Amino acid sequence: MTITQAPGKTTTTQAPAPRPRVNLEPYLYLLPHALLFFVFTVYPVGYGIYIATHRWDLLAETQAFVGSEYFRNLFTPGTPQFEFFWRTLINTAFFTVVTVPLLVASSLGLAVLLHRPIFGRTFFRAVFFMPGILTVSVMGILWRWMFDNQIGLVNAARELMTGAGPIPWLSTEGLAWIPIVVGTVWWTVGFNMTLYLAALSNVSQSLYEAASLDGATSGQQFRYITWPMLGPITLFVTVTTALASFQLFGQSLVITNGGPSRSTQSVTQYITEEAFTNSQYSSAAAMGFVFGLFMLVLTAAQFRIMARDVQAVEQK
Amino acid sequence: MSRKALLASTALLASLTLGMAGAQTYTGPKVTLTYLHGFTGPDRPVMESLVKKFNDANPNIQVRAQAQPWGTTWQQLPSLVASGRAPDVVVINEDQITAFIARGAVSPLTAAEMKAAGIDKSRFFGPLFQTADYKGQSYGLPISSVAYAMFYNKDLMKKVGLDPNKPPRNRAEFLAAAQKCTVDKSGKNSTEAGFDPKNLDTWGVSLYNNWVGARAAYAAILQNGGAMVDKDQNAAFNSPQAVSAVQFLVDLVQKHRVARPNSTEEAELAAFSQGKVCFFPSGQWYLDRFEQQKMNFGVTFMPRIGGTARDAAWGGSSHVTLPKQRAGYDANKRRAALAFMAWLSQPAQNLTWTSTGSLPTQAAVAKNAQFAKAPISGIFDRLDSVYATSGYPWVGQVMGPFDQAWEAAYLGKKTVAQALNDGVREANKQIEQARKNFK
Repeated sequence: MTITQAPGKTTTTQAPAPRPRVNLEPYLYLLPHALLFFVFTVYPVGYGIYIATHRWDLLAETQAFVGSEYFRNLFTPGTPQFEFFWRTLINTAFFTVVTVPLLVASSLGLAVLLHRPIFGRTFFRAVFFMPGILTVSVMGILWRWMFDNQIGLVNAARELMTGAGPIPWLSTEGLAWIPIVVGTVWWTVGFNMTLYLAALSNVSQSLYEAASLDGATSGQQFRYITWPMLGPITLFVTVTTALASFQLFGQSLVITNGGPSRSTQSVTQYITEEAFTNSQYSSAAAMGFVFGLFMLVLTAAQFRIMARDVQAVEQK
Repeated sequence: MSRKALLASTALLASLTLGMAGAQTYTGPKVTLTYLHGFTGPDRPVMESLVKKFNDANPNIQVRAQAQPWGTTWQQLPSLVASGRAPDVVVINEDQITAFIARGAVSPLTAAEMKAAGIDKSRFFGPLFQTADYKGQSYGLPISSVAYAMFYNKDLMKKVGLDPNKPPRNRAEFLAAAQKCTVDKSGKNSTEAGFDPKNLDTWGVSLYNNWVGARAAYAAILQNGGAMVDKDQNAAFNSPQAVSAVQFLVDLVQKHRVARPNSTEEAELAAFSQGKVCFFPSGQWYLDRFEQQKMNFGVTFMPRIGGTARDAAWGGSSHVTLPKQRAGYDANKRRAALAFMAWLSQPAQNLTWTSTGSLPTQAAVAKNAQFAKAPISGIFDRLDSVYATSGYPWVGQVMGPFDQAWEAAYLGKKTVAQALNDGVREANKQIEQARKNFK
């Protein structure tokens, strides 16, 4: 390309010089999202890195650069962060490992039942979906009351049936997870169930007809038609449920307040405590990054494993 | 009007005039003040009517009040101050205030300023006013307060042979009364042979394991001459005084068996409402609930169960403060803000504010005739012994581990000394880190 114009002189009368053709149009379409992406993702992440690597306080005159100090705390035995970050991360992982299979299985089971033209189908769909519209505080208080050590309905029912004394659900390590897990399943099963119901109605009836002509039992129909056809939705449900379980916060906050002895405290709860109770924003930001990295790796792994299964099914 | 009522209203009038006497009115040019507070519940209309009253009476000061949840304010205040957009007046609670002061978000009220605005700090309950003090300077005026109190069931006390008009005041009286109140389902008292603590019909005292329950231990420690932090502001709630005070509370559960183990706040609240417990130490905010239930109950100050050093109960409070402003901030605005603060903390306004369930912040209001027959006045003789968790910038770092320690001790998972030592160790590790942020 040669420049034919004199520098500084703008002319409109000359014939346009040949230019590299930059088609702006696609970028304009991308712009709104890109803008939001930069403002709400790239900038906050960048600022988060700044916070995590400085002794950050908005009111301080100087915000000393501390490099990886707050990250090192997480890997140095003896610091509160080392002790509690990993303990609460393990708590959260435990919760995820327990709830995800429960939530996937129970929502699939309910969907299969309620997909059939049984009496009162709409009513029962509503019954299972409704708890999901409650806020976490309402749901939490409800299950805290149900499992109360002294006056809970669960202990009362147990005493009525077996005559045994009350079990201190809320203040026994290990047992305190039960109200949280049961409450969470009750609370969120409806949403996954609805996804499965939608997916089930997309499975062609002709497959079942063909199968029954071939003499397949209903168990076999489920095993060889329903389950494989639901592969993609199972992937979606599992990944979203796992991510949601990893972000456990409100349930254990309201039901047990993380106790007893932090045994049900989730990692997000601990990060919040570090930031807003202890005013250690930089430390909390560093934990947020490490936790985020965990989620990213986990999700990627999950996707790879499950997507391979889905593809394998589709290729059959 | 009876003689008594006449006397009372004269006294009220006198106390109101007294409060007014020192107050100077603002005479500068017209200013508009922004006022941020967290009274977002049923207390919001009361605050709004107070602000309107002030605006009507002070045409050259217009206060624009904005209510938003406390937590939002704690998150926003640093950035508002840093960017020079801080409100002219902001209300801060006791557990946050020292941290904001230490970080430089709030500006001190000088003696000259307070004098000019007619603010007399001796009018307020001492420890309550000192909640917003730091390193010898005052930063705010208490306008709202809550406190731990001990509710007692008069009917149950009568039933077990106690004088329902004489709640216990010291450790020995308290233990004796609690033992009488603790009766199993076969009618055996906790001091009798064959008493079955697993099948209680009624019991002496409500203890439980959340943060509210932990405030009973806090009071006991102060009563025994202990403290939460030492002079260097490191956690120190494992002193011999603290261990002995908390041990007494744990003994109530494990040794004397006059309190239920493994209990929750809800369960104890329900039990007290159903007349199963003699003594229910908790926040004074439950008053409303018991009044609505038409229970025959009384309210008294926490007895000295922790020790004999002093009376003490936990309390919370809200203080009006002046955030730090940019250089060149309008001096008239600061004078006007001080006038507003002074007005808001006067006895008349504080009396109005008690309708929200808040306790009086000053003796003149506590003496008001309208409280004469109110059950809550049972704690008014010792309101000057209410202590907030304040005075050090790391309240979260101290109270979090303390609450955990109380839980472990109450549930019997650790010995008292072990639980408190572990708590102090954790707190001090966190304080060491926090210190780096407060030069």
